[in-house]
Amino acid sequence: MDLDRTTTALLTGLFDPRNAAAWEAFDRRYRPILIGFARNCGAKDVDAAEVAQETIVRFVEEYRAGKYDRNRGRLGAWLVTIARYRLLDSRRRAGTARIERAESAMVDLDDERSLGASYEAERRQALLREALDEMRTRSRTDPKTVKAFEMLVYHGLTPQVVAEQLEMSTHDVYLAKSRVAAKLREIVLRLESEYEEAPGDWDESGPRPSDGIHS
Amino acid sequence: MTGGEATQIDSESVGCGRFGRDDLEMLAIAQSDPSAPVVDGIVEHLPKCPACCAVVDRIVADNAFLHELARAASRASDSRAAIARLETRREDLAASGGPISGYRLGAEIHRGAQGAVFRAEQIATRRTCAVKMLLGGRFAGDRELIRFEREVEVVARLRHPSIVTLYESGVSRDGEPWFAMELVEGERLDDFVRAHSSPPRQVAQLLRKIADGIAYAHRRGVIHRDLKPGNIVVDGEGVPRVLDFGLARLQGSDAPAEVNSATTMAGEFVGTFAYAAPEQLAGDPGAVDSRCDLYALGVVFYQCLAGRRPFEGARSIAELVAQKTGSVPTRPSALNAAIDGDLDVIALRLLAADPARRYVTADALVEDLERFLDGRPILAREDSMAYVVRKTLRRHWIASSAAAALMATILISGVALAFAYANAQRQRVRSERTLASFRDAVGSVNPEASSGSASLSVEQFLELIEANSANELSSEPAVLAGVRDTIGIVHLGFEDAPRAERALSQALDERRRLYANGECSPEEVAESLHNMGRVCILQRKLTEAEAFYREALAVRSDVFGERDPRTMLTARHLASCLRRENRLDEALALYDSLEMRALDQSGYPALELAAIRNGRAFIYQSRGDLPRALSDFEDALDAIRGHLASDDYRVGRSLFNIASTQERLSMPVESMQNATQALEILRKRKGGDAATVVDVEKLIARLRSLPSIDPSVGPN
Repeated sequence: MDLDRTTTALLTGLFDPRNAAAWEAFDRRYRPILIGFARNCGAKDVDAAEVAQETIVRFVEEYRAGKYDRNRGRLGAWLVTIARYRLLDSRRRAGTARIERAESAMVDLDDERSLGASYEAERRQALLREALDEMRTRSRTDPKTVKAFEMLVYHGLTPQVVAEQLEMSTHDVYLAKSRVAAKLREIVLRLESEYEEAPGDWDESGPRPSDGIHS
Repeated sequence: MTGGEATQIDSESVGCGRFGRDDLEMLAIAQSDPSAPVVDGIVEHLPKCPACCAVVDRIVADNAFLHELARAASRASDSRAAIARLETRREDLAASGGPISGYRLGAEIHRGAQGAVFRAEQIATRRTCAVKMLLGGRFAGDRELIRFEREVEVVARLRHPSIVTLYESGVSRDGEPWFAMELVEGERLDDFVRAHSSPPRQVAQLLRKIADGIAYAHRRGVIHRDLKPGNIVVDGEGVPRVLDFGLARLQGSDAPAEVNSATTMAGEFVGTFAYAAPEQLAGDPGAVDSRCDLYALGVVFYQCLAGRRPFEGARSIAELVAQKTGSVPTRPSALNAAIDGDLDVIALRLLAADPARRYVTADALVEDLERFLDGRPILAREDSMAYVVRKTLRRHWIASSAAAALMATILISGVALAFAYANAQRQRVRSERTLASFRDAVGSVNPEASSGSASLSVEQFLELIEANSANELSSEPAVLAGVRDTIGIVHLGFEDAPRAERALSQALDERRRLYANGECSPEEVAESLHNMGRVCILQRKLTEAEAFYREALAVRSDVFGERDPRTMLTARHLASCLRRENRLDEALALYDSLEMRALDQSGYPALELAAIRNGRAFIYQSRGDLPRALSDFEDALDAIRGHLASDDYRVGRSLFNIASTQERLSMPVESMQNATQALEILRKRKGGDAATVVDVEKLIARLRSLPSIDPSVGPN
């Protein structure tokens, strides 16, 4: 585990307004999660990006003001609570009711458990993406293996086509898939430990920001 | 997965070696896709071979994991696209030359509900300014565009030292609306007050400047609708500046209705919850007027004075609305002893749940703040007058219940009347003088004041008010007449006929004279006539009473109409007078007509209906139809019990009516019971010497002389 990349380390760094690296790392890690989360809640792209931006800014303000105590609740739950109010604002501004848009599958903003599940799903996806990025850019895996993996998994090509294009046997294509999967599992395990947020304990919802009802 | 496990798969032969990797991969795929072709014999082999089984299990798990990864990767491009769109926008704006000709855009300095604000330089003048652009730009809907344009229109018409100034507006090369305004650099109002530990007086000075700006905006038909500390910046020179008119609304004829309704739809809340007036939270655009801004200023003022908002701790909007409409906030001075009582009054006046109880205009607020700052009495003392009078009267010998009745009468009729005058600029001097005279009188009975006396009677108290009024208001006869009328009513309440007659007849004479000169309304004359009728009834001068009532009735019918409660009140008094004159048929007909008119109107006051039936019961009583009389009296008592305190004097009177009817119906035990209760209430409310009390005592004495009643039963 890279101790500088743990959520605890990021939060410690965030206390210092001049620590741009901590801010960037925190933003890079949580912004995509919040965008996905907001989108699950029905926000359009630009609105979702706004909600994520406002949520992060508000969180950092509250955190620096000493309002967030990590011992009292999960970071995710706290972020979800802030984001929920931003979303309500955004919806009110947009003046669109969910029913009008027939988005019945959308996450219910009043249901904390489904909000938590939605956030958790986004966090997991963000983590997988981070793992993929790392595998591509930092791991020592053979580029041809990575390429075979991407063609197979991302582009949905058959092993035979991949084998043909990369001039390798289908056996090697499958082997590439297994190798990359193994590598990714390793990375994911390590990143989970850096996030320090084991999935599945959403029963304990985060504390409510004190002025959450104000826009 | 560990490296060791990967190595196992890396070997040339997989599993037990009987089948190749491709075969096992296909078998894994077949687990979720039965159409996938599998080689012969592998399905039968697998359950018997733990090594191949482990490989297939691992491939299945890998496939599921990779499927999840593929999905995550496809979502990543979506998120990146969303972020990229936002960043492109910012880069566009920050680019040299920028999208707005004539301006060089700098850093983003604020992002609000309606748009982003950038620091900018006007190239021609080298002036630093702020440029606001509509967020979402081309993605913005019609309503956002209308609101943005509304802000331009609104701010453009405002030029005031306390309101941010608009320089110019336009549309960017990309077709996005923008406007440039002066750049206000300073601190948010609440931060400023906190950082400078501003004393209450300085807070009042800041509020006066803000209110002055808002009053100016209101005069131009602009309601801000989102006043809060974040929208008020105190600049380097200590001048508070109101910003962000993005939610403003125009009122008045120059604002087309469809434009206003496009910016606010019914049921939609606009503003910030903590600063929103209760009627604003209800989401009815029609209910929102300039008094919403006064409420918001009240919250801001309170927060700056007391260090916290008046209503805190609400966990939901519903809870916040309930707090705002159902409770009165703690006085700011209770939270900070340095706060003057006058500032309490001003803040609480602004925070009244009922808009009608707030200041009528922001100008009135400015005036009161100026009065406070100059050390002059403020005009919003209505509420605290009640407090002073209550506090003062409690300290001397007048029974507290009588004091409460007295106070209520003074406040409802007298001070309220005085305030009614304050609506018109012309009348302001009058109301001030009225107030001054009341205040002097109240001050003089304050035992804590040097001239005060702890043993002042109600009569002496009223005489003091009368003398003070006559002195102070000699040049304001209309106001003086109103004060005399009020004093007369208080005397009437204490059944002090001579003093009541003196005050009321002076009031009537004055009002008749003023009416002749066009300086007084017919309603006021009718009010005096009605009250003179009452005093004549008390003196049993029935002919005069009838004449006064008939004249009052004619005026009120003419001015208010036949079905108005005020007209019907005078008619009921006239019926009562006719009954006393023993003209029972006329009286009965009038009562029946009144009852029909009352029953026709939903929401007609229950107390008035009870009084009509009570009066009719007296007629039945006079005619000897005692069962019907008793039935009407009992109905009347039932009606008023639901609306009055159990020891209200009218309950006492009703009990006495029932008791005297029961005496005549030979129901002495029931009669004694009711008479005893009536006496207790009336002694408390009217004092031992009141005529009604004497009547009850006589009844009890008669009952005691009856053989069926134990003489030791009942009151002393």
